[in-house]
Amino acid sequence: MTKGVLLYCFDTPQVSYSKITDRCISLIERNLDLPVTVVTDADTKLRIKSNCDKHVVDIEKGNTKFSKPWYNLERHLAFEHSPYDRTVVMDVDYFCYSDKILRLLESENDFLVHKNAHDVMHREIMRYDRQAMLDLVWATVLIFNKTPRTKAIFDTVKLVKQNYQHYCNLYRISYMNFRNDYAFAIALNQINGHRDYDLIPDSIATVPADAEILELNDKGAVIRWDNKTILVQDQDLHFLNKEIAYV
Amino acid sequence: MNIDQLKKIAKQSYDANLQKANALKKAESDQILVYKNHIFHADAETICFVRTASEGMSSFFMLDSNSNPVEITDPPEFLDLLLQRNQSVLNTYHQLYQNIKNRKV
Repeated sequence: MTKGVLLYCFDTPQVSYSKITDRCISLIERNLDLPVTVVTDADTKLRIKSNCDKHVVDIEKGNTKFSKPWYNLERHLAFEHSPYDRTVVMDVDYFCYSDKILRLLESENDFLVHKNAHDVMHREIMRYDRQAMLDLVWATVLIFNKTPRTKAIFDTVKLVKQNYQHYCNLYRISYMNFRNDYAFAIALNQINGHRDYDLIPDSIATVPADAEILELNDKGAVIRWDNKTILVQDQDLHFLNKEIAYV
Repeated sequence: MNIDQLKKIAKQSYDANLQKANALKKAESDQILVYKNHIFHADAETICFVRTASEGMSSFFMLDSNSNPVEITDPPEFLDLLLQRNQSVLNTYHQLYQNIKNRKV
């Protein structure tokens, strides 16, 4: 069975995701030693320096986050894009400082996702849509095998994406811009008959967007927020502050 | 002590607790152990159950972290892996905790 990591990387006018991707891949090489395929566009491909497979696609634009372009509309195609039997789809700003993903790849679960995330400053800010009728999942990391069931999950995500407004109304989701987190939460909920599904049992350590990244190295990061400085190392981190491209 | 000293102590305690909370979250992540293709936590509860169930039984059934059933056919091997993982994680947590404590007032 082939195993590998699938990344989606599209530079925007504001953020050099290609630089973040290079950092992400160097940590994958160091701590996971898995092959990497990057789905990207023709322009961004030229700026990715890492040695990896690159799969160029024409991207769908139009989505925004805080009024800035947000190219996140391709992930539902991961089933088709992945050349691997068992795939880890990962945000490029998820940095693997541990071998946790490698351990999870040994499991038999055909689809795994996180339901929990926490702010490393422990401000209890990560549960941001308490009105929704279903629990959010974090599409930051997806682990899946190519099976008829997982194909059904991805096909449902496509359906949700095409009718996103309707599903937002149905599930009382107030965040109207397309989010993969919600789309996968809805798809998993539906495909699993509105019952529980298998999860990655820990919580994603998240560096919030308003935290300052003072230092990044091969072991972790030094982070400051409100005059509090902390060192987080040897654990996977999801960076919401895209300044990591320039640290 | 004056108010500034008290504030300084309170701030140091907050910072130490923040570091401790992160170290504990890291320990929880590091406790993830996949055995026989099932996900487990190498925590005290799992270890206690496996030790108890393995007394007098050469194999037994238990639930993984997603409540899926799994047959444990080699309890000593599983227990050994659980203990190794658990103690490795707690050793790291202990070192981090000592560093945090030494920085406190």
